[in-house]
Amino acid sequence: MGEDAVRISKLPMLNMERQWLMADIDMSGFPNFINSEAKFQIIAESALDMAIKDAALHSYQNIGLSIGTVLGNVLYKEKRLIENTKDDKMRESLSYPAAYLSEVFNLKGICMTISTACASGTDAIGVVARRIMSGETDIIIAGGVEVLSDFALLGFHNLHALTETKVCPFDKNRTGLALGEGAAFIILESEKHAIKRGGKIYGRVMGYASMSDATHLAAPHREGRGLADAIHQAISESNINLYDVNYINAHGTGTVYNDLMETKAIKRVFGKTAYEIPVSSTKSMLGHSFGSSGVIEAICCLLSIKNKSIPPTINYTERDPECDLDYVPNVSRRHYVHIAMSLSAGFGGQNSAIVFGEI
Amino acid sequence: MKPVITGISRLAGKDKDAAIDRHMRCIKEMRFVNDIERLVIASVGNVLEDAKIEFPVGNHDIAIYMGIDDAVEDIKDEYFDNIINVGILGASPLLFPYTSPNALAAQVSIAFDIRGESITFHIENSCVDVLKYAAICVVKGYAKMAIAGSIRLENKKLPENEGRYKAEFFFIETEASAGKRGVKKYYHEGWNEDVL
Repeated sequence: MGEDAVRISKLPMLNMERQWLMADIDMSGFPNFINSEAKFQIIAESALDMAIKDAALHSYQNIGLSIGTVLGNVLYKEKRLIENTKDDKMRESLSYPAAYLSEVFNLKGICMTISTACASGTDAIGVVARRIMSGETDIIIAGGVEVLSDFALLGFHNLHALTETKVCPFDKNRTGLALGEGAAFIILESEKHAIKRGGKIYGRVMGYASMSDATHLAAPHREGRGLADAIHQAISESNINLYDVNYINAHGTGTVYNDLMETKAIKRVFGKTAYEIPVSSTKSMLGHSFGSSGVIEAICCLLSIKNKSIPPTINYTERDPECDLDYVPNVSRRHYVHIAMSLSAGFGGQNSAIVFGEI
Repeated sequence: MKPVITGISRLAGKDKDAAIDRHMRCIKEMRFVNDIERLVIASVGNVLEDAKIEFPVGNHDIAIYMGIDDAVEDIKDEYFDNIINVGILGASPLLFPYTSPNALAAQVSIAFDIRGESITFHIENSCVDVLKYAAICVVKGYAKMAIAGSIRLENKKLPENEGRYKAEFFFIETEASAGKRGVKKYYHEGWNEDVL
């Protein structure tokens, strides 16, 4: 069964009575969490440390870092504007999360910040995978970090995008998304480099593509044109057949338009094969942590390949006649996943698809 | 394959109006919310014009690689100041999408109907890394052609129409593509094998 991390909670900084559904991190497990505005530092440091230890990297001073984020450090801005204090230009800069982590972990390679709305995490991986494939470098860390903020909550609230009941992607009665937060990192290496140092390999990046809708700043193309183009291009780059894809981790926000658009895009590319591919939304459990969600979902794909098990779409109760694919309702499933694809879409008509394969 | 530059555009806020009036005839009808997006649209229109690319484009052949510095913070400050002053209703649904740094690249894709890849990088002082990545993408075939450049906060003390922001864009394609299209190629300092 999938576990629901979405709960009723209050806004982080503004003193408002109203409560929202969100998947916020319980910071009581972090004894060094003192300043609420520094939340991103705590969660990002913990996640990056975990990734470095998992990869058994002992020497990493020449490694670069690519971070996908939209509002990763926005709590500094919120605090400064609420208290009407002096500019903290350095910490308010969107490059700060990447710069901060590079300094703390003494990473001296390239340091980049990618901000493509809710596709930021996927693009942070895709962009550096290309840099490795071009031979520019052998190893880079890619990740995403995002914290819940009044800034984002109120923005999505006034766009009527937030659910007041449950996040139930692809369900007939879906009413919207719940915001989440988190940090996630993966270590990307050339195969040669990983084998040479004896690192364990979760999977390979087979293909990646990003495409634009070019239609609307805050709404997806209704027929999923841009996402279909990205899926098509990523599959073509992977040099695989459509029926080789065993699992799709959908963007699956739980909004009416996204889930319908995404279903149409998948069907547009895969045709009848679409009905044979399990498609699930992990946002049903973790909420939508915009910039970092792409990296979290990439990890879900890699673990589905490693563990031969796919995560479910929870809170799924009633089939939508227009969303008629296999959404892995409510319970995880044993499944031979050799190739998995993660999809992301975001404001500005951003669409990204990345394909992971078994080694 | 060798990447070459076939279009250049540098524009400050005070020069944008004439350019945007000229491009308005060919771009999608759209509503501008802030001056910075007018500047970016004007500047990208100029670089496409210089590279002899007709628009609206209507295909995936061109990618957009855009660097943005703290220019985006002005929009965030305005959005959040409204919340502090008005409360929940101050969170403008019109302004909110613009707080995402990719909004400017997105408006470019919409205005000129550019359906290829669009990646926004946060930069500090220079867009060299953005150009370098664009060149890799063109050479390796991830994009046929690319618009690459930046929008930067030039002088925080100045209002927008006196040069607060500066936009700088380059059109990059392979030498073979430029030759086939019969367009001029630029060479300038800083754009050499070392940078690429």
